[in-house]
Amino acid sequence: MTAGAETITPEPRWRKLLASLTPDRRRVLYAFGAAALVFAVGELLHPGFGSTASIKAILVIASFVGFVAAGQTLVILVGGIDLSVPWVLNGAAILLVTSSLGRDGRAAQAVLLTLALGLLTGLVNGLGIAYLAVPAVVMTLGMNGIMEGLTLGVSKGLTCGSCASYAPKAVQDVVRSNVLGVPADLFLWLAVAVAMTFLLSATTFGRRIYAIGNNNTAAFLAGINVRLMTVVLYMLSGLFAALGGIVLVAYGGQATLGMGDPYLFQSIAAAVIGGVSILGGRGHYLGTLAGSITLVALVSVLLAENMPDWGRSVVYGGAILVILLAYGRERQQL
Amino acid sequence: MTSVTQVPPYRSRTRFQHFTIQSAPLLLALIILAGMTGLYVGLFYRQLSRFPGNFELTSVVNTSMPLVFAAVGQSIVVLTRGLDLSVGGMIDLTNSLAATHMHAGAGSMLVWSLLVLLVGAAGGAINGVLVAYGRLQPILVTLATLSIYQGLAIKTLPAPGGSVPLEYTKILANPNDPTGLGFVALIVVIWLVFRRTRLGVDIFAIGNDEEAARAHGVRVRATKIGAYVLSGTFAAAGGLFLAATTTSGDATSGDVFVLTSIAAVVLGGISFFGGRGSAIGTVAGAFILTLLINVLFFASIDPLYQSFFQGLFLVVAILLGTLIRRLVGMRG
Repeated sequence: MTAGAETITPEPRWRKLLASLTPDRRRVLYAFGAAALVFAVGELLHPGFGSTASIKAILVIASFVGFVAAGQTLVILVGGIDLSVPWVLNGAAILLVTSSLGRDGRAAQAVLLTLALGLLTGLVNGLGIAYLAVPAVVMTLGMNGIMEGLTLGVSKGLTCGSCASYAPKAVQDVVRSNVLGVPADLFLWLAVAVAMTFLLSATTFGRRIYAIGNNNTAAFLAGINVRLMTVVLYMLSGLFAALGGIVLVAYGGQATLGMGDPYLFQSIAAAVIGGVSILGGRGHYLGTLAGSITLVALVSVLLAENMPDWGRSVVYGGAILVILLAYGRERQQL
Repeated sequence: MTSVTQVPPYRSRTRFQHFTIQSAPLLLALIILAGMTGLYVGLFYRQLSRFPGNFELTSVVNTSMPLVFAAVGQSIVVLTRGLDLSVGGMIDLTNSLAATHMHAGAGSMLVWSLLVLLVGAAGGAINGVLVAYGRLQPILVTLATLSIYQGLAIKTLPAPGGSVPLEYTKILANPNDPTGLGFVALIVVIWLVFRRTRLGVDIFAIGNDEEAARAHGVRVRATKIGAYVLSGTFAAAGGLFLAATTTSGDATSGDVFVLTSIAAVVLGGISFFGGRGSAIGTVAGAFILTLLINVLFFASIDPLYQSFFQGLFLVVAILLGTLIRRLVGMRG
């Protein structure tokens, strides 16, 4: 083929399609691409890594990050951050087992109580940030300490009589049973993903979130109740952290101390890998979902490689940097 | 940020107003420190019927030193409107390096101290280059490097252990006399000089308004890299002091400094919006946090509730700061 013939070849369709997308949507695609790449590399190194069973197992672990990251995405979209995730999650998990005592009869009220705890911590965070002008980093950092102290103190360092209870069978089933050959937990994640996408893309509430994240003064002048929105979003973040705690304790059976610690940085990283701008105003939950899968799949590949602890930690950090450098850079200034 | 900021119309200020606006948060930090010291002495006296003496002062100073260094580094980055989450990993790494490689003898101690500080500077430079040239958000860069430095620390010292020479402990964290106060004085002097150097002035300039600073010929990228290099170096010094205080190493002992260094910076009155504050306030903030733990102990509060009171105290202290800033009419 001559060089001249090449120039008149029409652009491939996928390229046109990609160009027609907004940069934010393109980032969501990149995030799914990154997840697929990790699975492909895993399959190359360990035939069977990409098998249905293995993918299901990875998706279940990724869903825990995905739940927490849903709340994190909401507050990051308005330029905030929620550092109180670890101990809200941990406190919620312990509250679930101690209030239900593992009995199915008390499962419903225990779940509601636990979700209410998440909403309450989010309410306090939101009030401090929106009405008392405490920086989000400080307010949620303080709240993390407050929840840590309360959780440890009230449960006497997880030595209380009811602390060793298991999550009720009914709650465990929601996470661990199989529906149509797929773990039930994944349907829950699908529901969260659909709800989040609908909320962000198809409702006034969602439009307001992006408006605040892009320019909160303009949003305020346009008549949006920025403070109320902020409070609501932090409440949702608390709710999702509590949901993460419930699902995690249902999966593991019992609560442990420190079980929430990995979810702080993972929830932020998942959102950012998914193309959510840490400065607010840009991003979709579908990206966060892909980011969660990428992170967990990456860890699974490294585990399958029998990589020592230190190597996993280094590769993990390095991979986040590479992904960020690939598509997370800010625009060139001047 | 989420709150609606309103830009006040420009008005000229008197010298005195400028001074109060720049120094009000620092004064507040010093007042909180004085109050916390008073509370500590009072509770101590109530429990033991005597005043805290040389031993208690030495213990407070030695416990505070690693945090003082980590937090001063953190404040330099916060002044540029950045955030350095990797200080925890850097302390892990430098603490492990010191505990595994340093041997008795002036030569080994000197060489390894310098090497460890160099490692800190190099780690900081990596952060700085990624922020300045990679155009990535500081919080994300340092989140990733935190993981990398933590990994390298575990590689260096897989299980807690190792040791640092006794003489080293005597020099950095003398258990008999509060000689650590000399290092605090040194930091204050270094800060007062640094604040007036080209780099120091530029850091404040880009923290206040990056575009304006660029227009005035500030080399924004070089300044940012400089700030992260300093943060890494200070974190490394914190790692050395931690090794000296605990006389051994632990590849995870630095992790707490991610959050405590931020807390000390906040208590020290440094604005998260950059360009306002003083590292002297941060030093006060670090001592406030150490004293708070002692106060809780002497108030016979169940140690399990310790983080509860720390978190509550942090939020209340910030509210006080916000209130005072509103009164003197300064932003963020």
